[in-house]
Amino acid sequence: MITAIKDGLRAGLITAIIFTFLILIGFTSVAANIIGDILGNPQVLNNETRLPVGNLLIFIALVGLFTGLVTLKKGSNPPWTDVLFRGLTGGILAGLIVGTVIYIVGSFHMEGVDFRAYLPNLGASQLGYLLFYSTPIAASKTYLLYFTVFSLVGALARKTLTMLTGLRNKLKSIKSQIIDWSDKKNFHSLVGNQLFQAGLIILVGIGLYFLPLVWGSYWNYIMGTVAIYILLGLGLNIIVGFSGQLVLGYVAFFATGAYTFALLTAPEPHAVGLNLWVAVGLSTLVSILTGLLLGLPILRLRGDYLAIVTLGFGEIVRILIRSDLLTPLTNGPKGVTNVGQPIWRGHVFSDVNYMHLLMLLVLAGLFIAKRLKDSRTGRAWIAIREDQTVAQATGVDTYKYKILALLLGAAFAGLSGALFASRNQFTGPEDFALMVSVNVLCIVIIGGMGSLPGIILGAFVLKGLPELLRELADYRLLAFGALLVVMMIVRPEGLWPGQNSKKGKMATFSNSLGEDNLEEKV
Amino acid sequence: MKLPVIETQNVTMSFGGLTAVDRVDLVVPEQSISSIIGPNGAGKTTLFNCVSGFYVPIEGEINFFGKKIKGLPTHKICELGISRTYQNIRLFNKMTSLENVLVGQHPRMNSMWVESILRNKHYRQQESQALQYAYELLDFLGLSDLADIPAFNLPYGAQRRLEIARALASQPKLLLLDEPTAGMNQQETAEMTSLIRILRDERKMTVLLIEHDMRVVMDISDIITVLDHGQKIAEGKPAEIQSDQRVIEAYLGPGVDEITKKFNRKKTNNAKS
Ligand SMILES: Nc1ncnc2c1ncn2[C@@H]1O[C@H](COP(=O)(O)OP(=O)(O)OP(=O)(O)O)[C@@H](O)[C@H]1O
Ligand SMILES: [Mg+2]
Repeated sequence: MITAIKDGLRAGLITAIIFTFLILIGFTSVAANIIGDILGNPQVLNNETRLPVGNLLIFIALVGLFTGLVTLKKGSNPPWTDVLFRGLTGGILAGLIVGTVIYIVGSFHMEGVDFRAYLPNLGASQLGYLLFYSTPIAASKTYLLYFTVFSLVGALARKTLTMLTGLRNKLKSIKSQIIDWSDKKNFHSLVGNQLFQAGLIILVGIGLYFLPLVWGSYWNYIMGTVAIYILLGLGLNIIVGFSGQLVLGYVAFFATGAYTFALLTAPEPHAVGLNLWVAVGLSTLVSILTGLLLGLPILRLRGDYLAIVTLGFGEIVRILIRSDLLTPLTNGPKGVTNVGQPIWRGHVFSDVNYMHLLMLLVLAGLFIAKRLKDSRTGRAWIAIREDQTVAQATGVDTYKYKILALLLGAAFAGLSGALFASRNQFTGPEDFALMVSVNVLCIVIIGGMGSLPGIILGAFVLKGLPELLRELADYRLLAFGALLVVMMIVRPEGLWPGQNSKKGKMATFSNSLGEDNLEEKV
Repeated sequence: MKLPVIETQNVTMSFGGLTAVDRVDLVVPEQSISSIIGPNGAGKTTLFNCVSGFYVPIEGEINFFGKKIKGLPTHKICELGISRTYQNIRLFNKMTSLENVLVGQHPRMNSMWVESILRNKHYRQQESQALQYAYELLDFLGLSDLADIPAFNLPYGAQRRLEIARALASQPKLLLLDEPTAGMNQQETAEMTSLIRILRDERKMTVLLIEHDMRVVMDISDIITVLDHGQKIAEGKPAEIQSDQRVIEAYLGPGVDEITKKFNRKKTNNAKS
């Protein structure tokens, strides 16, 4: 009973803090708007200054449900009375805290205090909405009621769910027994499986071919961006995910690729007018050379040092591009316009052509990454990631393999940069802010270091979703942060191979491999 | 005369003020089991680290079949034919047993990254040979059933054996084992002992061993070298080492001599009365 109440209080406290935070940054009304969108509810009532309260109530109910859900621990299955207590304590505590916050803020608001001086998102209209356009005391009572009721519902629902999964597991085991039995009878022949796979591949191929044709240029734009980020993710994954080198300035290679392509094909400022496909090749090559330039001196560094140095490199490239010094070469902050576009069957590339090309490249990239991963080369990389010192003592020339990873990663970035510039018909220094590196790194990390399907998923979540939910775009950083925190809790080892960064410090100071003894002495 | 597998001359290694290995001469004959023993902190692991290239000794020479290897990077030394295990197990944790052994074969293979994308004949041949040899080694060390399990999830004894399998994968001429039976029970220790013998007798390998379990050391060593405070204090066959006064002192402290004498006197007194 005591643990039940404790768990409930903890869950209540956590949701209350999160919810208060969301109020302060103005996220609650955004969420309410999104809910309105999804449900097709009107955004604005006849009276222009008032927003529909129902959407906000639904959001509060959802948070309440969440409170109830987390009052039960994973895998536990407490008795019903316990569940009742958990749900109630969690909901009441969360409701009390949030209610109090609303009451205090609301009272000040009623007395005419303007919060916008401190918190830009707490304007009068926002506060009115949070108070349901009624009095502070009535509003806080509503919060308390909603949190309590829905937390209770959440807890009970979770309990019901666990019972259902228990039932499902039983069903599953029966089913697997049946499958075992049928396997023995050779119902699944190998040929059948292969046929099935081939059919699936063809179907997916046809789907991928026709999708860009039917879903329109808006979707082609969004999905094209996602595809470019998948390519970037695949490249950085070779460096960070496979070989375990935390390179933070990855955007530098993207930028060199884009600028090389733009300068070789745009009429301004140089009017080189190179063949487009040659230009693509050259852009990739220049990015590879940049990688070599960067890699040779710094890949002897380990862990934190490598991260910091490469972080600087990404910024240096951007600053150089827009500097007065290089303006004659790069067109400075204005960027390069009218970047060349390939011709296909007598027509300039359309959005559909770009999408098809990008899809092909993504497939090729996946293919290459997969084959590399399962080879002698990939094994050497992963060994370096797991324990660089031991990998080298096992016969892997770690320096060579780290440089190889960097060059291949740079090639991916250079290629995507060229396509990016060509598709947008423009490239400017601000396309290559630090955020691009962070974005790509997040894709790799959230996907789970070194996992290829994870990258695709990560690119969709981090680049696709924000584009689709425009209103969320301002909260992208928040989402990053939240995702990273969740990742740290759920898959800490996926975040960053800890041994590397810890050992790195020793190694850089003591000449060669001096950190070995630190570990040896256990 | 046949060249020794390893010959160290005057090897010295120090950390700051501490001389961990002090002018050590060591000769390891071919197809032998040589052991290094000594109290904790005697410098045994440091000597291993010098031989395998982790440290560059500040003085002295190390020859491998007559070839100078001091200062070579560790992967070059591995390519020449020296493999090692670690006192505290250091496997590639997230890789499976099989993959660990495959990485071990890295220096014996030469397929390039482009080939792995194209999967040409050379690449496929090498991969399938590597796979076959990896399974052979896993079988040899009794790890066949654990081939697809990540190293991290293996039981302790299996991890020790997997380290040996990985070291053997490069087909070394010399195997350095740093306390291979540490933390093992009696049966596992016995298995490990016979395994090391098999390596010498059937695989014609040379084994250099650091070991704390005296029964194991005395049982299988051809030559034993004793280190204390970084210095070599004795060397010889097991029987010679067992009766060496300096060795006993190093292990039990200098007082032991007097205690034994007193003890003996008492015994004789008792016998008299
Ligand atoms: N990298 C290092 N930096 C500083 N001191 C070190 C380093 N490596 C070893 N030492 C010191 O050198 C001495 C010898 O250490 P070493 O690990 O070689 O002993 P050992 O004989 O292997 O002992 P054990 O039986 O405990 O494994 C110890 O005093 C140790 O603290
Ligand atoms: Mg040691």
